[in-house]
Amino acid sequence: MLAPSAVILGTFIIYPLIRAIWLGRQRCNPQGKNCDTTGWGQYTDVWRSEEFQQAIWVTIKFTLIVVPLGVALGVGLAVLADKYLGGIGVFRAIFSSTVATSVAVASLMWFFLLEPSLGVVANIGWINDLFPVVKEPGLLNDPGTALGSVALSSVWAGLGFTFILVTAGLQGIPADLHEAATIDGAGGTRRFWNVTLPLLGPTLLFVVVVLTTRAFQAYGEMDLLTSGGPAPQDSTTTVTYLVYGDTSEVRSDGGLQATTAVWLFVVLMGLALVQLRGLGRRVHYGN
Amino acid sequence: MATSAVPAMNRVTGWRAVGRYGLLIALSALVLFPIYTTVIAAFKPADKVLDNRLVPDSFTLDIFRDAWTEGRLGRFLLNSLVVAVVVTVAQVITSVLSAYSFSLIEFPGRNVLFLLFLATLLVPLEATLVVNRQTIDSLGWLNSYQGLAVPFLATAFGTFLMRQVFLTLPRDMRDAATIDGVGHLGFLRHVAVPLVRPTIGALALFSFLSTWNMYLWPTLVTTEEDFGTVQSGLKLLKSRALDTPNLVIAGTVIAAIPIFLVLLIFQRQLVRGLTAGAVKG
Amino acid sequence: MNTMRQQHQRRGWQVRAGVLVAGALVAVACSSGESILDAGLPPPDTVPVPPTAGPDGSVATTIPATTTTTPLADLPPCPIEALEEASGTVELTFWHGMNNELEDALTELTNEYNAGQDKVRVTLQNQGGYNETIDKYFQSGPGGRPEIVQMPEYMVQQTADSDSTVPIGACFEGTGFDDSAFLPRALNAYQTGGVQWSMPFNVSNPILYYNKKIFEDAGLDPEKPPQTLTELRQYSKKIVDSGAARFGIAFDTGQDNGGGWFLEQWFSKGKELFADNANGRSAPATQVMYNNDFGVELLTEVQSLVADGLAVNVGANPSGQDSFLKLADQEKPAAMTIGTSAALGTIKVVLDGGLIPGLTSDQFGIGPMPGPDEQPGVLVGGASLHIVADQGDAEAAASWDYIQHLVTAKAQSFWASKTGYVPVRTDALDLQPLKKTYRDDPRFKVAYDQLTASSDDPSSSGPVIGPLREIRAVNSDAVSAIFDGADVAATLEEAAAQSNRLIRNYNARN
Repeated sequence: MLAPSAVILGTFIIYPLIRAIWLGRQRCNPQGKNCDTTGWGQYTDVWRSEEFQQAIWVTIKFTLIVVPLGVALGVGLAVLADKYLGGIGVFRAIFSSTVATSVAVASLMWFFLLEPSLGVVANIGWINDLFPVVKEPGLLNDPGTALGSVALSSVWAGLGFTFILVTAGLQGIPADLHEAATIDGAGGTRRFWNVTLPLLGPTLLFVVVVLTTRAFQAYGEMDLLTSGGPAPQDSTTTVTYLVYGDTSEVRSDGGLQATTAVWLFVVLMGLALVQLRGLGRRVHYGN
Repeated sequence: MATSAVPAMNRVTGWRAVGRYGLLIALSALVLFPIYTTVIAAFKPADKVLDNRLVPDSFTLDIFRDAWTEGRLGRFLLNSLVVAVVVTVAQVITSVLSAYSFSLIEFPGRNVLFLLFLATLLVPLEATLVVNRQTIDSLGWLNSYQGLAVPFLATAFGTFLMRQVFLTLPRDMRDAATIDGVGHLGFLRHVAVPLVRPTIGALALFSFLSTWNMYLWPTLVTTEEDFGTVQSGLKLLKSRALDTPNLVIAGTVIAAIPIFLVLLIFQRQLVRGLTAGAVKG
Repeated sequence: MNTMRQQHQRRGWQVRAGVLVAGALVAVACSSGESILDAGLPPPDTVPVPPTAGPDGSVATTIPATTTTTPLADLPPCPIEALEEASGTVELTFWHGMNNELEDALTELTNEYNAGQDKVRVTLQNQGGYNETIDKYFQSGPGGRPEIVQMPEYMVQQTADSDSTVPIGACFEGTGFDDSAFLPRALNAYQTGGVQWSMPFNVSNPILYYNKKIFEDAGLDPEKPPQTLTELRQYSKKIVDSGAARFGIAFDTGQDNGGGWFLEQWFSKGKELFADNANGRSAPATQVMYNNDFGVELLTEVQSLVADGLAVNVGANPSGQDSFLKLADQEKPAAMTIGTSAALGTIKVVLDGGLIPGLTSDQFGIGPMPGPDEQPGVLVGGASLHIVADQGDAEAAASWDYIQHLVTAKAQSFWASKTGYVPVRTDALDLQPLKKTYRDDPRFKVAYDQLTASSDDPSSSGPVIGPLREIRAVNSDAVSAIFDGADVAATLEEAAAQSNRLIRNYNARN
């Protein structure tokens, strides 16, 4: 009964990982032939190389923008829409709607918003005057703003997901806790910080874990919006893009690709372990 | 109006209601803005693409027809659907089977094996793609449904989820069934699965969405247009037709519609699916 | 109870956050400053001596015969008879990177071929662009490869080294193919070591696109585009000063444009070698030579155009359209840009379709690529067609049949008039529709004239280097930095050093 799952997982997850670790010790020609084994030193060299460090830094920056912003906006919208108001269902549906967009769809939508010549945002007069970078060279072409713009599109795409989860979490908070707090004299804001937020803890943690993992693995946004970011700074080349992107230096050497991919695995594993331990602790403290 | 059922502090009236509505409307406009501009841009006739008014003064549906044919969207949507359905069904089946093994059957090394399963959750897709592509290539499965689907027929997440819910089934139910002479598969079919249907529904929706949204794998493993999915098809459309941007925009709109529909229909399962992993569930 | 839980939560968060931050800091602080492309490799034993002034072999008028590469007999043969012997229809897959108008023209040619006979059926597979085609080709094993693949000109060495293609020269010899009508430069571009590797199909070179109306407004003659970089500066100054446009010219730093390709073109115009060993044609190149005085002078001049506000840098231009879109910009347009002649057909269609308000297709003019001086000397750009080996004898023969169809005079006449590519054979000019196009719209002929006016010495054959694609990426970054104000000489040195490393790595493994 276990066999089907085990076979698939073994062939397509465990075997490739082991093989990639092995391949990561080699440098190959573009066809994957004539491989020279260079040894484990290749791993340290790749880790310490400029391109990789830069990619890790870009990935961290991206995550640091996407996750807090996404969580804050999601919570804000959810709290706002949590009250009983006529027609609140419509607003809830609107706020959830971005969960229906895939990476490709959301990225292309934002591409046609931000592109300096065709985009709507770039051609609104007063935005242009306030922020000339929007048109020249364009938010996606300027090394300073490219990553932020890609992050913005990612935050927007993830808004629906966060909103749905936080709303569900809010609905799980028993009303009598709120009533008790109000009776104790707590106003709206204090209730939020002292009752709502702590009880949202598990939900928020789950959201943070998912958003962080997604951010670290983000690829489609960079591929469609900036192709790895305005050169020469490669401002939007994350580690994933470094492995597979169209403009990455690494793509013509299967060995280097494997080394970088294995490092990505290690980083993600470390991240997940750190987060999982927190998750475990949450389970204990939950109601 | 059922105001009596709503706790007093949740009711918003008077000026506060107006303020809240205002805020809600403003935020909704912001959230909808990208979708709105995309749809509007798709409707603009070809010579007005650079004309960036927020409200178009003419509508034309021809561009959608062109995007459909030129972008071969019909074929891509079909492929995405086939692959997503196949993977969803397979993931549900394999997850249920393995989760059952891990929860209701005792065998030596069970815990170690389960940890190994969980460990695969830590391996990101990106680390395995290079080798997986080589495997698929050597099997001759490039440009095929098998190539697109087979690596994803099982998932540790599904196993984990179903195991959680199987563990909530009372032990005596299983024992009673054994006394009645019911085997494992029979028990699964007639007792366990019907009981956990909501979770299965959630897993199915989650699998469907994840597979539908896959971007990197289809681009890697297809070299012929007939076998791309909608996501890789959109990337191809952008490369091929950027001199007629409204074609690409129209293609994006068409690609977005199916999932919007799916989610409209399966709202409740969606929420359950998304919250399935959250601890409090 | 609440506060205790909150305290635990906060401490837990702090610990975790601390670990993450610490880890990140450790990671970042560990940068070695080395390139990822050196990972695992031992440092080079010798530092290559930078080239001194003056190219090698600058007086040679022919490309010397080579000595070190494999003779034709050792390479996969071209089994021409196999097509007649084949029963049933031979199915071929053709991977290409032609987009927009180019794809339409190619599709028409292919449909015509398929309809005209029933022995061979060709299916076109657009991979999305050259990069995707290259990557997918090299990632695939023999089972995953197509029968015909279109590879851009900078891939000729790497494709040859991959031992995965049938050299088209074998088919030439086997059939006694008459290539006398072909442009010698087009064929030579895809020849190394005396072996003709592939068939030139779409030949392009950079041309100057300019807005005639802006020229008029600035008091310049709209029929006399600038021919040299000096004139380019003068014209731009006049345009900017008169207010006719915001910028004189739009540059970009893309690999296949201003950052990479144009560099090679400018070196050819200046009769300078780009790489050693006669641009890699007499023997595999071992180092680049573009970090010489000529290169520094050239890029300093271009840099100053941007710095003086006469030119604008539109960035990396991944779609290839940004430099053109700058011409169409409503508020801060540029008057000119240099772009590939292959875009001519597409641009004409786009403008005729009214996509750009206020700009019709009659309003823009075409001139030759301005260079350091009045000398012509553009390189053969574009791509060529390779027959893939190990796909079956009948398939190879069928591929040869199809490729021949694409380079008949009639096909090239149609192809060139529709796209703006230069026809690979001179007799195409005598046939319709090209005859009419060149007569009625001489803009299409500029690229052809530029190419045929060039000489045949090694410097004008263009560099053939294994990792040329990666070297272009390095150069693209360098040009980008230069446009941002970096020191030209130092940047070029560094780019050359990196390029040389790439070449060393490549030669070690091929």
